[in-house]
Amino acid sequence: MTTENEPPAVRMEGITKRFGDVVANDDVDFSLEKGSIHALLGENGSGKTTLMSVLYGLYEKNAGTIHVDGEPETFESPRDAMDAGVGMIHQHFQLVETMTVLQNIILGHEPTDNGFVDTATARTDIEEICSRYDFHVDEFLDTKIQDLDLGARQRVEIVKSLYRGADILILDEPTAVLTPQEIEDLLDLMSELADAGHSLIFITHKLGEALDAADEITVLRDGEAIGTVDAGESSEEELARMMVGREIQFDRPSRDPPRGDSVLEATRLHVRDSRDLEQVSGVDLAVREGEILGIAGVQGNGQTELVEALTGLRDVDSGTVRFHDRDITDTNRRQRIRDGVAYIPEDRTTEGLVQDYTLVRNALLGNQTVEPFVDNGMIDWSAVDDHAEDIIREYDVQPPDKSTDAKSLSGGNQQKFIVGREIEHEPDVMIASHPTRGVDIGSIEFIHDRLLELRESGMAIVVVSSKLDEIQKLSDRIAVMYEGEFIGTVDPAETTEEELGMLMAGHDTCDGDAARENTPDGGVQS
Amino acid sequence: MLRASVIERLAIATASTALALLIGVTIVAAAGYDPVQFITNVIEGALGGRSAIARTLRFSTLFILTGVAVAVAFRAGVFNIGVQGQFVVGGFATIMSIIWTAPLLPEGVVGGVGLLLVGFLAGIFAGGAYGALPGALKAYADANVIITTIMLNFIATGVVGWLVQNPFRGEGNAAPNTERIPEYVSLPGIVFDSSGFSIIGLGIALAAVAVVFVVMERTRFGYDMVTSGHQESAATYSGVGAERTVVLTMTLSGMVAGLAGAVFAIMVQGYYTDPSGIGTYGFDAIAVSLLAANNPLGIVPAGLLFGGLDSAGSHIGIYSDVPVQLIDGVIGLVILFVAVPELFRMAAERTGLGGESR
Repeated sequence: MTTENEPPAVRMEGITKRFGDVVANDDVDFSLEKGSIHALLGENGSGKTTLMSVLYGLYEKNAGTIHVDGEPETFESPRDAMDAGVGMIHQHFQLVETMTVLQNIILGHEPTDNGFVDTATARTDIEEICSRYDFHVDEFLDTKIQDLDLGARQRVEIVKSLYRGADILILDEPTAVLTPQEIEDLLDLMSELADAGHSLIFITHKLGEALDAADEITVLRDGEAIGTVDAGESSEEELARMMVGREIQFDRPSRDPPRGDSVLEATRLHVRDSRDLEQVSGVDLAVREGEILGIAGVQGNGQTELVEALTGLRDVDSGTVRFHDRDITDTNRRQRIRDGVAYIPEDRTTEGLVQDYTLVRNALLGNQTVEPFVDNGMIDWSAVDDHAEDIIREYDVQPPDKSTDAKSLSGGNQQKFIVGREIEHEPDVMIASHPTRGVDIGSIEFIHDRLLELRESGMAIVVVSSKLDEIQKLSDRIAVMYEGEFIGTVDPAETTEEELGMLMAGHDTCDGDAARENTPDGGVQS
Repeated sequence: MLRASVIERLAIATASTALALLIGVTIVAAAGYDPVQFITNVIEGALGGRSAIARTLRFSTLFILTGVAVAVAFRAGVFNIGVQGQFVVGGFATIMSIIWTAPLLPEGVVGGVGLLLVGFLAGIFAGGAYGALPGALKAYADANVIITTIMLNFIATGVVGWLVQNPFRGEGNAAPNTERIPEYVSLPGIVFDSSGFSIIGLGIALAAVAVVFVVMERTRFGYDMVTSGHQESAATYSGVGAERTVVLTMTLSGMVAGLAGAVFAIMVQGYYTDPSGIGTYGFDAIAVSLLAANNPLGIVPAGLLFGGLDSAGSHIGIYSDVPVQLIDGVIGLVILFVAVPELFRMAAERTGLGGESR
């Protein structure tokens, strides 16, 4: 589809982007051939969106060069990028809900006639674009955005970019909000656009979509480009391994097998997400005292909803959650905090900490029903104050100043503060969701050591992570989640990367170790 | 939260007031009136003598109470624009409960104190219930609080207006007024022997400030509420139920507004009348609260400033030939200068379009 001497549509070389101490993109090379679809695959926080934001002029790069159609370019703003024919469709649509489709498409690029907006010309132009592809947007031109479903809104976004003359389209996780049927339509549309000569970059974390839609796939992990493969010659297993493969060889500490009683159990759990789609489809799970159950899997296979159901943040559709043999399915988060279900949340900046609060005020978060901090509804701030100091000291939070706002701490220190606060609950069960995502290496080791200490002291722990090395280092058992189910449970000491890769890609290894051990509750009945 | 320190805030308020008065005076002069006389009238009206001060404090008492009602909700991120309606419903409930209960209690001091308690409780209860309604509509039907509270303001004014016009109009009253509550049911005039103001009323307002401050800073409910206002996802993570919080917040806000209505009904009026003519305390309170950055302690000076301006306005309206529209315009300028910058800062922070958090 491209001749030898034609320059690639986009060529990025040695791109490095730092935010403070955090390296979001580390010497990344990326090249998009003309008229092709190139998927950018990676977990949350692997640097996909950052790389594309650098291309689109939203971020200034620290190092590297960008060529568009063979010309060296440095876009200072999205406006420059658009002028050069690069359009980006963001994960969150940039549409004015109360305005019509037509108004949204021409917004900022209105054709004018003597100073008046020339809607007639705009209408013809847009209809022309729509008729060239199978857009089904022209019939909505006078409908307000708020009356359209998400699939149609996305097509409006694409038409908007094309209307502005984009040859190169960046789609940031375009399938995240769509239903399966809408996803299929979108992928068809993308290939149609590519056939017509447009070049597309498709950001995703879903393996199947990348393989279906793209010509080439580049995998990013922790800000580095792991490799680029030809979609026709790759497989889900290969991609899964590339996405989560190990970076540092952690030593798996030797340990005694857990012997305690079962603390937290879930039976035939079904959970829906906020869009009412089933994300957890019949999960059975049990974790005992002194045991770490690792839940591995590619992001978006129901881990978030499972964790929310276990912690009491989301209602379950059916199934039960039991805690110390007591049915807690219908209890809320606050009740479960009181019972002793601690939770290190997936997203520390929006959930784990109130950014504008000092560390003292944050030390109370989740402790509002815990004595001595609150007694009869009255807060004892001096006890909270001491508690904040203890956490800062014990968990090595830098800077050691309890009156700083949470937002001024680095990611690693924010995370250490949260880990400390949750451990100091002295809970019976700890649910840690991506406990070291986006955290520096020193803090990772620190947090791992604390979790292993808790295990030694007899706590039951659930760790959800998409990092294979972390899961293998910490877990006593690894359950692999795929499309809402535990597709297999393996022994971390005996499993291989290949086996985990297969499971994460949805292939039940019938003759492998997984099938033999395919009992996620691991013989709790004993 | 807005970050300006207390001193900065006071300086901003003082400078804004001065600047607004300066522009106001220029307009007054341009309209052909004596600017010096106008300024003198402003100061006299707000602070000149015992009765002027009593009038200032009367307005201030009401602004402080309604301002606290607004601040409670705003701090929790709930835009209760319905303080006026809760104020009206609370005040009306106060008067009617006193009228209905009076025959059951002995006359005199004992009965008076008893009826005051009945009246205040009825006002707080009715205001709280009228605030809980939009809270519940938000929590369980996802109805926008701004819209429902505005609509409920109209409903309160209309319904109470009809009630005082028809079934509850006092016998022989030409005007749409209820009967008067008994003479012995009144707040005593200590220090200021003025009709329409009692130092006890101001005391109630200051006590409400103190209670709300303690609730917000020292109780779990307050922490949950303020955390919801700051970062709802973090509040949810910590086990705060969003539905429950919005209902409780609106109830507390409505209770304070109802208390304000009760103070107004007992201290200022002694009967209830068509609410379309009683003043827009519940709306002005939004400006008071914004000026105080929704901090209950800051409501006190903000309420005093607004009380002084209103008091000066009513003085000038009576004792000078400057048209009342011009006076309202000058007061509007002060509000514009003092409170609107805060509104924009808050809006910018909430919408992420600027402000100090970035």
